[in-house]
Amino acid sequence: MPYVLPLTHPVLETVGVTVRLSGLTILDDVSIGVPRGSVTGLIGPNGAGKTTVFNVMTGFLAPDEGMVRYEGRRLKHVRTHRLTSMGIARTLQGVGLFPALTVEENVMLGGSSHVRSGIVADALAMPWADAGQRRLRERAREVMEEFGVLEDAQRRPSELPYPVQKRVALARALVSDPKVILLDEPAGGIDSGDMADLARIISSWVPQRTVLLVEHHMELVMNVCDLIWVLDAGKVIAGGSPELVRNDPAVIAAYLGEEDAH
Amino acid sequence: MDTFVNFFLGGFANGAVIALMALALVLVWRSSRVVNFAQVGQAMFTSFVGLTVVDLTGSWILGLVIAIAAGAVLGLIIHFLVMRPVRRADSSGAIIATFGVLIALQALAAMIWGGDPRAYPTPVSYSGITVFGRVIAITPYDIFVIVAMVILVLILTIVLTRTKLGLSMRASAFNPEVARLSGVRVSRMLAAGWIIAGMVGAVAGVLVAPTATLSPNSFDIFLVFAFTAAVIGGLDSLVGAVTFGIGTGLLLSLVTGYSDASNAALVALILLALNLWFKPEGAFNHHKARSV
Repeated sequence: MPYVLPLTHPVLETVGVTVRLSGLTILDDVSIGVPRGSVTGLIGPNGAGKTTVFNVMTGFLAPDEGMVRYEGRRLKHVRTHRLTSMGIARTLQGVGLFPALTVEENVMLGGSSHVRSGIVADALAMPWADAGQRRLRERAREVMEEFGVLEDAQRRPSELPYPVQKRVALARALVSDPKVILLDEPAGGIDSGDMADLARIISSWVPQRTVLLVEHHMELVMNVCDLIWVLDAGKVIAGGSPELVRNDPAVIAAYLGEEDAH
Repeated sequence: MDTFVNFFLGGFANGAVIALMALALVLVWRSSRVVNFAQVGQAMFTSFVGLTVVDLTGSWILGLVIAIAAGAVLGLIIHFLVMRPVRRADSSGAIIATFGVLIALQALAAMIWGGDPRAYPTPVSYSGITVFGRVIAITPYDIFVIVAMVILVLILTIVLTRTKLGLSMRASAFNPEVARLSGVRVSRMLAAGWIIAGMVGAVAGVLVAPTATLSPNSFDIFLVFAFTAAVIGGLDSLVGAVTFGIGTGLLLSLVTGYSDASNAALVALILLALNLWFKPEGAFNHHKARSV
């Protein structure tokens, strides 16, 4: 029987999602929900299927069975390019920045779906397209200031230390003013000082925004999450408060198994 | 010395046209990661459309405008009917498809307009300018071509670097998945790349047609020159395409002037081979080298 935890009106959820690739079942009947205004964690050993859940939610992968629901409505075909205009933003493992674009351009791109000027008007630099571009630049500068990267606006990502690149990636996700933010291993490659900053930033987003967090750093997950889902080998094995999950025998066995394997 | 100066000046206009054709190749490469060998076929076909309009109306400018519009439509048609269906094939599949388009366009042009070379009129004189009693090897039309190239490059630079369209096109080219996550409709950006390249190619075709005559195969040699310039420039770089387009034009003018016109293609291929041997990533490309 799949693990099911009843939640009241989750803003984003997968319902019975199964994904098979090359004969392997990557996700098996996965049903997880993200309550509105919460920080929800999605954890599990390597290869558990956490990023695959993100890929299904953001339209990179179509599930073989099951569905994704957003604000109670089934998303038949998740169109990735429409996510930001629907209020969903996602960061990627690593930083996923465009190396040839400046920091400012990277951040502006995250909000480009909010500028509806039309392709021809934009190419011809019509006044309304220019005005939209100006508003987008102003919004990007606000967010860059919030994340402390405004002074690096004209630099390329490769010129910046890794933790600063991570902050640029967060700024890009935030520039579209999303209701739901999916963070894929945001703490990867940063030290404890930056980790404390990250925890403070994530906590400051709720309850106005909702966060789904995939992360290996248990200290961060336990500190910031209200609810945690645990995946192992493509199945949900536990879900609940950090305290509950920390003491769940199935979770302990899954993580101990991974340590044994190492 | 006079001869050298004349050959050198004569190469500028040729270089400007090669630069525009190389720019069109770069635009498609940046948006689709495909080397578009059909580019000269598109330029030839749209030049024939322009010539037909000139014949009917007597207006050179109207011919240019209609040729540019035809370039946009042809680019869009090729994107939707040929390139989209092969987008899941490997890159060699897409490149072979562009060769197919080139052959189809040449055959279609021969069926519509015949195979005989046609003369394309010029909007200004194509006779050498007299300076201090001497006729130099640069004509008012050459100056017109160079000015047209500079204006077009400026417009392209503004569109690609200062507009949302340009930003989205660049993002789509570098990382389509991240671009989609950022709200960019990547498929539209691919189409935009083919449309803009088709328009630039059309301008190049109409500008070169008066100097090369127009027939279904008359632009083939420009593919060699433009491809050489685009690759040496880095294939991703607009600046590289323009710089080495003009450079290739100048060099070929000197080669043609001092030896024989038939050596020009050979010199271009030698340049290409040397570039692939010593600096395969191109002069203006700071990313990793492509394997050859």
